[in-house]
Amino acid sequence: MRNVYRFATLALVMLVVSVCGFSQKSATKEATTPTLNLVRGAIGPMGSNTSWANYSLLTLVPGAGLIPITSTQTVFYLGFTAGSEADISNMVLYTTVRGTSTITAVTPVTRGGVSNPSISLTSTSVCPVQPLSASDPCIVRFDPTSIALSALNDYYFVVYFTNDSNNESIGGAEPSYNLSTLLGWYVGSVDETRLTVGESLPSGCCHVPYFVMFVMSN
Amino acid sequence: MKTLCKVATLTLLLVLTAVGALAQDEARAQSTTVLMNLTEGQGTALGNDNDWEGWSELTLIPGGALFGVSTKATVITLGFSAGSTVNIQNMILYTTARSGITITATKKVTLGGKSNPTIDLASTSVCPTQPVSVTNPCFVKLDAIKEALSPLSDYYFVEYFTSDSNNNSMRGAGSSNLNNGLTAWQIDGDDTQIPVAGTIPVGYSGQAPIFTMYLTNE
Repeated sequence: MRNVYRFATLALVMLVVSVCGFSQKSATKEATTPTLNLVRGAIGPMGSNTSWANYSLLTLVPGAGLIPITSTQTVFYLGFTAGSEADISNMVLYTTVRGTSTITAVTPVTRGGVSNPSISLTSTSVCPVQPLSASDPCIVRFDPTSIALSALNDYYFVVYFTNDSNNESIGGAEPSYNLSTLLGWYVGSVDETRLTVGESLPSGCCHVPYFVMFVMSN
Repeated sequence: MKTLCKVATLTLLLVLTAVGALAQDEARAQSTTVLMNLTEGQGTALGNDNDWEGWSELTLIPGGALFGVSTKATVITLGFSAGSTVNIQNMILYTTARSGITITATKKVTLGGKSNPTIDLASTSVCPTQPVSVTNPCFVKLDAIKEALSPLSDYYFVEYFTSDSNNNSMRGAGSSNLNNGLTAWQIDGDDTQIPVAGTIPVGYSGQAPIFTMYLTNE
């Protein structure tokens, strides 16, 4: 009888080990969010649009342009083509119903955990290829925003660049051709990141996107 | 001893059942491959001019426009709207950083195992509907490239058409005027020989490709 118990225990251990082994693959898959495009990003050679002090940058991410990827988060990638430091006063993501301009939700966006980051563009840990240029733009990843974009909404990512000398010399990537789903415009001398639910987005949309090159799942 | 055998058999059955059930999911995922676009191809095939002897077409496959289809292979389809024989001297796939111009990797592209194939457009096994025309374009799938394209890179597919009379009369099927994920430009000369660390030639114009029609997973 002791042998039976020994054998049964051994078999049980083997079963547990094999089940764990097989389930590991699935767990690994779930733990890492893949880096996938949520919309068609910037395409082709970039130009450079400079001098952004005291400007609000607005980028439309249309729900109708979403690639049907399942993602619980949204990550913005901004392209810099010139400058030594970019100072951002605030960043938000506005939600509206498709095709409308009334804000229904405001979600903070951060980089390095803050919504007012300073980005050192001369640091090779931020921008490995120095110096920045339109042909070698520095693509900076912002923190994942905990929002699953819906095809039934539109989204406006808004960045307000601080009114300082650093931002006078920064350049943003600007596609030479309008082939992206993303659209953008800018408003001078106003911080457009302070709008609240129920207010309307500023007019001026839409041209090629400035700075915002990719919107991805990770 | 009889009890021991019973326990052993039962345990073995349990292990087999568990392993079988776990393996089923993987097998299901692998056994069904459905044709999928990796990026948005050309929606129309309008056809284009002749006189391609000694010319290269450079097609930009932007990482920012990839749909996120899970695949281990990439298949490029070329389209032709006139001609009897197409002679390709070489085909290559360059990799660059997103929106960068410096080549970081090169990979041979082949048809029938050759990077310098001759395509018989008059053969019904190649082009079932004869004669090949703008209304009956012939689509030719190149060999699968055993590589999954990354949304964090850009790719340039380049084919160089031999300088001979056959390539004088053949025409591409593309040139759609619709905004899609593929764009290309053409250069007089062989642009398939650029080494790693070389740069992508200038001339990008944001136009639809003349020959490259689709990018799929099989």
